[in-house]
Amino acid sequence: MVLLRAGLCPGLSEDLIKALLEGAVRTVEDLVLSDPEHLAQKCSVSYKALVAVRRVLLAQHAAFPISGADLYDELLSSTSILSTGITSVDNLLDSGLYTGEITEVCGGPGTGKTQICFSVAVSVAHELKQNVTYIDTNGGICANRLLQMLQEKTMDSAEQMNALQRIGVFRAFDVFALLSCLQNLRANSLQMGTVGSGSVKVVIVDSVSAVLSHMLGGKQNEGMSLMMQVATELKTIAKDLNVAILVSNHVTRDGNNQLKAGLGQSWSHVPRTRILLQRGEQPGASSSLRTATILKSSRQPCYLMEEFNLSPQPQEESQTGFAGKRKLDTDS
Amino acid sequence: MIRTVSGSPLAPSVKVKLINAGFQTAADLTEVQSLQLCKAAGISQEEADEALQTLHDHSLPLQQRAAVQGLTALDLLHQEESWGNIVTFCSELDNVLGGGVPVGNTTEICGVPGIGKTQLCMQLAVDVQIPVCFGGLGGEAMFIDTEGGFVVQRLVGVAKAAVEHCAALVEDEEQRSALESFTVEKILSGVFLVRCQDHVELLAELHLLPDFLRTHPQVRLVLIDSVASPFRQDLHDLSQRTRLLHGLAQHLTHLSAQHGTAVVLTNQMTTKVSPGHTHLVPALGETWGHAATQRLILHWEGAQRFATLNKSSSRKDATVPYNITVDGFRDASISVSSVLSHSPAAGSHSKRPRTENQHT
Amino acid sequence: MTGRVRMAENGAQLLARIEGRRSLEDIDQNVFPVNGGPLQGDVIEFHGVEGSGKTEMLYHLLIRCILPTHSGGLEVEVVFVDTDYHFDMLRLVSILESRLTSSSPPQSEMEEVVRSSLCRLSVLHCSSSVQLLLTLHYLEGVVCSRPALCLLVIDSISAFFWIDHANGGDSLTRQEANLRKCTEILDRLRRDYGVVVFATTHAVMRNYSSSSGSSEPSGSAPSWKRNSDFDKQYLCRSWQKILTHRLLFSKSEQSSVSEEHKRIFSSACSTVRTKGVHRCVFHLTEAGVQFSAG
Repeated sequence: MVLLRAGLCPGLSEDLIKALLEGAVRTVEDLVLSDPEHLAQKCSVSYKALVAVRRVLLAQHAAFPISGADLYDELLSSTSILSTGITSVDNLLDSGLYTGEITEVCGGPGTGKTQICFSVAVSVAHELKQNVTYIDTNGGICANRLLQMLQEKTMDSAEQMNALQRIGVFRAFDVFALLSCLQNLRANSLQMGTVGSGSVKVVIVDSVSAVLSHMLGGKQNEGMSLMMQVATELKTIAKDLNVAILVSNHVTRDGNNQLKAGLGQSWSHVPRTRILLQRGEQPGASSSLRTATILKSSRQPCYLMEEFNLSPQPQEESQTGFAGKRKLDTDS
Repeated sequence: MIRTVSGSPLAPSVKVKLINAGFQTAADLTEVQSLQLCKAAGISQEEADEALQTLHDHSLPLQQRAAVQGLTALDLLHQEESWGNIVTFCSELDNVLGGGVPVGNTTEICGVPGIGKTQLCMQLAVDVQIPVCFGGLGGEAMFIDTEGGFVVQRLVGVAKAAVEHCAALVEDEEQRSALESFTVEKILSGVFLVRCQDHVELLAELHLLPDFLRTHPQVRLVLIDSVASPFRQDLHDLSQRTRLLHGLAQHLTHLSAQHGTAVVLTNQMTTKVSPGHTHLVPALGETWGHAATQRLILHWEGAQRFATLNKSSSRKDATVPYNITVDGFRDASISVSSVLSHSPAAGSHSKRPRTENQHT
Repeated sequence: MTGRVRMAENGAQLLARIEGRRSLEDIDQNVFPVNGGPLQGDVIEFHGVEGSGKTEMLYHLLIRCILPTHSGGLEVEVVFVDTDYHFDMLRLVSILESRLTSSSPPQSEMEEVVRSSLCRLSVLHCSSSVQLLLTLHYLEGVVCSRPALCLLVIDSISAFFWIDHANGGDSLTRQEANLRKCTEILDRLRRDYGVVVFATTHAVMRNYSSSSGSSEPSGSAPSWKRNSDFDKQYLCRSWQKILTHRLLFSKSEQSSVSEEHKRIFSSACSTVRTKGVHRCVFHLTEAGVQFSAG
């Protein structure tokens, strides 16, 4: 429903709007759906002007058809694949995250969802020198860990700092903040216009379920509406700005005790690709071993499984404990 | 701006009215006055004012604007470094946690009764107050007690040990003068205690917490001991419980990140029956595991207590032994730790507070 | 309004209206029952949960439409309205190419055939139910002027269900207003112009009435969820009324996935014209939908 407003299109004057209001035509749909001939008589306005305004409004508000061939050409030239920085996950995803698509990682607590998000952020910011937007909704972001991951890739501290600066962090702890964050992101990127070097290549939302899951259920349907708005916003960003989107989600169990992605049926249609993370099964194995299974993909067979290791962390660094810090702090 | 009415934090009924009056986006509302809006949408003056305020970008609530502006990971790194950690007085656990319990994050501590969850909480409530020149944070703590497990005499014991420990470390003038004000009384006055009987009281208290933290910026630690008991006792509608808990978790995460406080929650354990065997898992259901950024599970193995870092976005999972002494939460004896050898960086341990034999 | 004589009609439009568009009756004998294929003006709903093969089947049928006759297609034009932002052109082309390599060998021609096929497809993206409504209105003009346009695909018509649901408040009429208006235009498109409409609906509503707990003993055949929990129709009445075919998609249980990761899907087609339900079983490969014999 778009209200008729002066200045919405050339020829739509205050007078015309007033006249149309008499004929109970308030919105663009009312105007488009009504019969112009009838309306011209009823509101005593010029038929010609009405038809012209109607045509312009329709062109403005209807979606524009693109020929399949053009769409394909555009896609071939613009799609890029971004490595996640973890070889086995790349294998699962058919070499990485595709721009224009939403990829979801789901898994229980401590299965490495956030680590994959970090790895993507670091890999895109460092290896590809592209900008990253990281939307943190559950307080999981840890810049120290990002730095550690960068230190494993390069010893040059200037490069590490540059990479960290390419990662833009937004913290949104409720769904409204998340929505306005996404809407701003889209508006700002559209303002900047053409796809330049400063544009964002990947948007990470860790995690969507944190802000959405408590809105769902019960008798209200507002939560569902907000969830679908988040979904629409993410999909529009992916397509319009041609960025890869990575979201994380939690898991629930279905009737047969099988793990499935959280947020229910309506959300399940949203991501193009979904991988499930689980802890390595055999006891005694390294605690950082994880398995990733593909649950949904249009490129790979489902239930393909890969193992990976959350990259080991050196234990000796960052001894910022109590006694160790004492000496350092005396000069501050 | 492409902010939409339906995606704004207004009451659902107001949104419905606005949308049906044809106001879809913030742009539709830019030139509308509040009086005009009441008439057009059939809402009250207050509702119209609120709607306009929410949707006009220049008057975004502060917290939302912060989310919109964002910062780079580099800024975040500086922030994390300036916030620091709260030490536990168990050097091995500090190692595992990367220097102690992180400020600006939520940490969950799970364990069976008597394993030392409340002890660890009290230890943290004392340790957060260690003066800056001793490497502490010089902060204060808020202790929300839902189980009645807070015993002040115990806190006195822990505080006394911490003061004595600091006294033993004094090296220069600054520390000497800092120590004069670091007394047991001072520590006790730096712990704000709140008792909550049920989940309604707890939720109410948590909604007042942002204001409290704003007026008491020195509070760097919020402890909830425990989050499980009010929700396990009187809430039987499971889906409502889950929703309330998720909302609570988001609220606490928001709080910790915004005010730069550490939030520590304790949780009970429950028995999970799976075909073949039973084992103990943290209570409040599987999805609650997503709630806190870090999860620490305390458990027995024979006669020895162990702490396992089960979930963390920054540290590797690990298991270390610890002891509960009269002085509080401490390292386990060396023999056990050498058997387990989880920490290769043993060299630095000698510098750590190792006081379990000094004051017994 | 529909019976009204159009003010201006050019030769092409007249021809399109009188000649009628090409029927898609023989689009696929596997999916639709004998004598039950989509005729001019039929509306077919594709319904199923996530990952039940709706999109793949849609691509399969779409490719059959846009391929030239000498490559085994129907050579008609298709408009694809993508409301879910879900359309995967790369996937479509890869199915198209593998379809071509299996039928006609000349490699040099292949690119040309792919290009000409894709030219028969137009894609539109809609992000709200209002936009969908206006777009359908705009398409009315497009359909008029293009007699070769036979198929309109909407993926999915249920995309804005929740948002409209909440925006409508407590009034069901208001919740369904936009979809009802869309349906009116669709009805006009199919009746006046003989366009076939394919629309997908996501299964999001659980059918609480059916007892879902009873799991039948699985024999050698893959076990189907006979009455899926999610086959409830939840869109507005006027939409149900214009439907002529309903395709229900389901997938085999995870436990019966064979070793080659082949997952079996099935579609059940019920139409107003033929009695009974026509079932077909298929699995998915790199090259798209492959029908299993029997």
